[in-house]
Amino acid sequence: MTCAEAGPLLHARLDNELDMAGAASIDLHLSDCRACAAQYTALENLHQEITEADLAYTPGIALERKLAARFLEEEKSPTRFWRWNWLNASVMAAAAVAVVAAIVSIPMLRTGRETETVAAEILDNHLRALQAVHQVDVPSSDQHTVKPWFQGKTAFSPPVPDLTKDDFILIGGRLEVIHQQPAAAIVYRRRQHVIDLYVSPSAGSDSKTQLRDLGGYHLLRWTQNNLNYWAVSDVDPSDLRTFADLIRVTR
Amino acid sequence: MDTKVRIFELTMWPHMRAAYNLARWLVRNDHDAEDIVQESFLKAYKAQESFRGSEAKTWMLSIVRNTAMDFLRRYKSPITMTLDEPGYEPQDDSPDPERVLLEQSRRDRVRQAISHLEPEFREAIVLREIEGLSYKEIAAVLNIPMGTVMSRLSRARNLLLVELGGTKEVQHDLR
Repeated sequence: MTCAEAGPLLHARLDNELDMAGAASIDLHLSDCRACAAQYTALENLHQEITEADLAYTPGIALERKLAARFLEEEKSPTRFWRWNWLNASVMAAAAVAVVAAIVSIPMLRTGRETETVAAEILDNHLRALQAVHQVDVPSSDQHTVKPWFQGKTAFSPPVPDLTKDDFILIGGRLEVIHQQPAAAIVYRRRQHVIDLYVSPSAGSDSKTQLRDLGGYHLLRWTQNNLNYWAVSDVDPSDLRTFADLIRVTR
Repeated sequence: MDTKVRIFELTMWPHMRAAYNLARWLVRNDHDAEDIVQESFLKAYKAQESFRGSEAKTWMLSIVRNTAMDFLRRYKSPITMTLDEPGYEPQDDSPDPERVLLEQSRRDRVRQAISHLEPEFREAIVLREIEGLSYKEIAAVLNIPMGTVMSRLSRARNLLLVELGGTKEVQHDLR
């Protein structure tokens, strides 16, 4: 092997792109040629230096927020025309399995205490909303748009905090009926997970948060200042607790 | 929300960081990089025909790359080439007592050296050295043969070695 031949292959060697025979022939040349060996060492050092410098740029949370807003606009557009035959089949299958698992588990919950019935209703609602085009009545990442929207629609004023800095991004709100009661649903996003927060009037006294797991989804409920809260999502339970804690201190 | 929208998000959202990193390196400022990423995600969302279940990441990055290159072709000017990253003053010759500062300045020099490469070399370095993509993946993103990936990396790294000093272009024995 000549140095001219070895030149570009040094990079392939460095990048682990050669098969064993190719690597061996380069190594043989390196053991034989001081100039190429020196060049290879320099390349190794450069590679290490770039890696250690940690030069990746990270997007700010604002970008995800802007993008989420743009997608909501796209969704609302009447001219949209979906053709999703290109979608990764395995993702589609995984999503379908998750939904089926959730639905299958729901009938088992329809017995027993009222809270269990409500829990099932909440999860039904959440799943329906995930499937529907109609995810929110008021699509906005601005708390000052979402919160006033509920005025006159509900007898109470739900909390709509801006949790962007904690990585919970407001998507909007919608009106629901939970257990024959009007309820406000506030929709947030945590990365690719949607979190629905259902708020409805309560006659009960304040309670601590209680976590339920239903078919891969998590529900966190509590009562505070004459309002019942249900947070539901497939997000990690610890993230859901963080979310609930943030909502609780808002009031 | 539409299931299809959710699946798009599940497939493409995880690649936003890589998309932003590539865009940021190519256009070299935060504002334009954000625009490039937004435009790319919307393009990806609409360009269903061209995604046939190949790697979502390389597909997304190829859209980002093409969008950024179009942007550079449209807006490239001598001013944007030189008014790059602020704070890169010529290095003081006197030795700095603070080791941290030395390391910082070295890191900045590496960053600056990559930033000053021509886009076609810069993107190869970013995808390989910062994103850790294989030649096959880089070839898919840049739509070039794998052999060209290797020769671009070879050229780019040699330019970096010269730029960063310490090493001259190596003289090879003639055989």
